[in-house]
Amino acid sequence: MTSKQNILDGIRKNVRHDIEMPDIDAIVPVQYEDSLSKFVEMVKFVGGHARMLEPDEDINDAIRRNYPEAKVVASSLPYIKADKDPDMVQDAGELADVDLGVLEGRVAVAENGCVWIPQTMKERAVMFISQCLVIIVDRNDIVSNMHKAYEKVSSTEYLYGCFISGPSKTADIAQALVMGAQAARDVTVIVR
Amino acid sequence: MSTRHSKAAKSFLENVERSEWHDNTLWGVRVKRDRMSKSLPEWERLRDAASAIKRHTLSHLDEYLEKFSENAQRNGVIVHWAANAEEFNAVVLDILKAHDVRKLVKSKSMLTEECEMNPYLEAHGIEVVETDLGERIIQLLDQKPSHIVMPAIHLTQEEVGELFEKELGSEKGNSDPTYLTYCARESLRNEFLTADAGLTGANFGVAETGEIVICTNEGNADMSTSVPKLHIAAMGIEKIIPDHKSLAVFHRLLARSATGQPSTTFTSHFRKARPGGEMHIILVDNGRSRMLAQEKHWETLKCIRCGACMNTCPVYRRSGGYSYTYIIPGPIGVNLGMARDAEKYHDNASACSLCCSCDNVCPAKVNLSEQIYSWRQELKSLGKAPMTKEMMSRGMKTVFDRPALYNLALKCSPLINAAVTCSQAVSLHLWGKGRSLPEFAKESFHSMWVKGKVKNDK
Ligand code: SF4
Ligand code: SF4
Repeated sequence: MTSKQNILDGIRKNVRHDIEMPDIDAIVPVQYEDSLSKFVEMVKFVGGHARMLEPDEDINDAIRRNYPEAKVVASSLPYIKADKDPDMVQDAGELADVDLGVLEGRVAVAENGCVWIPQTMKERAVMFISQCLVIIVDRNDIVSNMHKAYEKVSSTEYLYGCFISGPSKTADIAQALVMGAQAARDVTVIVR
Repeated sequence: MSTRHSKAAKSFLENVERSEWHDNTLWGVRVKRDRMSKSLPEWERLRDAASAIKRHTLSHLDEYLEKFSENAQRNGVIVHWAANAEEFNAVVLDILKAHDVRKLVKSKSMLTEECEMNPYLEAHGIEVVETDLGERIIQLLDQKPSHIVMPAIHLTQEEVGELFEKELGSEKGNSDPTYLTYCARESLRNEFLTADAGLTGANFGVAETGEIVICTNEGNADMSTSVPKLHIAAMGIEKIIPDHKSLAVFHRLLARSATGQPSTTFTSHFRKARPGGEMHIILVDNGRSRMLAQEKHWETLKCIRCGACMNTCPVYRRSGGYSYTYIIPGPIGVNLGMARDAEKYHDNASACSLCCSCDNVCPAKVNLSEQIYSWRQELKSLGKAPMTKEMMSRGMKTVFDRPALYNLALKCSPLINAAVTCSQAVSLHLWGKGRSLPEFAKESFHSMWVKGKVKNDK
């Protein structure tokens, strides 16, 4: 407690100004006429794949077609055929052999290809430890920019949530871009 | 300056090919950043807003910190306060001991570098594994980061190949970056699965919600905190922002400024501990509250650590991170070092040609060059440091000995924007006294300055 008091007292003693909060709403952010195609373009730009779910196409078939080699599929979504359920595993480590994780995104952002995925499962490791990811988003959940995205996120409750924009990547060795640093190497967003 | 610093600086500068690569590569990142900034018509409005939000928050920092900590506690997070590095290290060790932690995985945090946490924990028997690829590389080499966003930018792929051959058993002679990255991926996966705790930094702390936000491209902060059950987050008190609305502004600026990406791959929001887990946040002062009183320098605290000022700085690009004596190099590092201990770090203040390029790229509009100028004045008035070559660190000297560099300084400073609050630019002439600076044509510099005045008077 004393450190807290010392720090706060130090701040009060040292602050020399009283500056007002700016009006962030005064910024006019970029708006895309066709936010769906911008979103698809940006998912590709950040190294992911994006595809539309055809009318009458079964989501499980679509996933299989995209990842025919995935042996272990993990998902807690009731409509997804999976071998492992992140809600049911005892320990996050049990997900270490997952080839494909299937997740639902709640907000998709056209300006940067981000998809908001709140933790709705017991072990969120599925979002990172899976070799590949399929993220399902609803076309009505696409917004133009981050201002709109955070407006939506703010109205929800979550213990953890992540904006994911394409596959994990690094350029730490000689600035050469490599997909698949620690988390998913390959990400497909399916828009329905 | 530690010996390993000076050694690394020496080897960096002796290798002409390497320093040219370094220069060109970082300039390439700057160009990518420009492309991104130009894709948003509202870019300058965002920078203005970011600066104003930070100024506001810092001027009410006590209130926002209290709000943040109340909300975090309401979320079940355990909040600690550390006045300095010693307290911080002790708090981390206490938490780890209470949980019987032997192995700690961590994501990148300049704060833990500042506090020299790793050696402290290691001395107490804790194995610390850096999980950001660049940080892991330099950890295995027993070096320090030479850039805050690209910590291993001073190394070649061959050097990394040799290192991994020795440390991770990778193929002899294979220095393909994809291959090496995958070797590290395999080895780090094993670390995540066997660690007892994860430690992260924080890019932002949101007062309204009590959550911390971490931006990474690799996903290592998330791996570090979704496998082990214990999460410790270390955050400097200046990282507080009011709300999600502000976060949107910073999010849009950060990755675009840092690497020229529209977003980092992962923007992770930690609000509560995982089911069955435990989450701690340590709020660290370590000289920050003191900086608030430095009338000319408190705005350094607006920095969001994007690294853009390093990528654009002609001195940094040519001399490398190790030629600075403070743990954070480049324009922001010069200022942070001076604010921390002007006596100890004053030689860095000479590492600047006052080209103002850093000011123009900074997403939070930190007036970096203006501050460097005023540090020089302050040093001068103390009779401490005449601006001579003798006070420069070795790396700087090498750069300043090559006047051709100054051509570059001019080239990389877009003249129209460069002016800003650059009244201190005059000092460039002073600095040039006793040296020949023919390439800095007086006219062009002067006109740049005049344009700035015109702009400011509007
Ligand atoms: S003003 Fe100084 S610190 Fe800033 S970019 Fe130019 S040389 Fe570097
Ligand atoms: S001072 Fe500005 S440009 Fe430099 S690291 Fe900080 S935020 Fe980025």
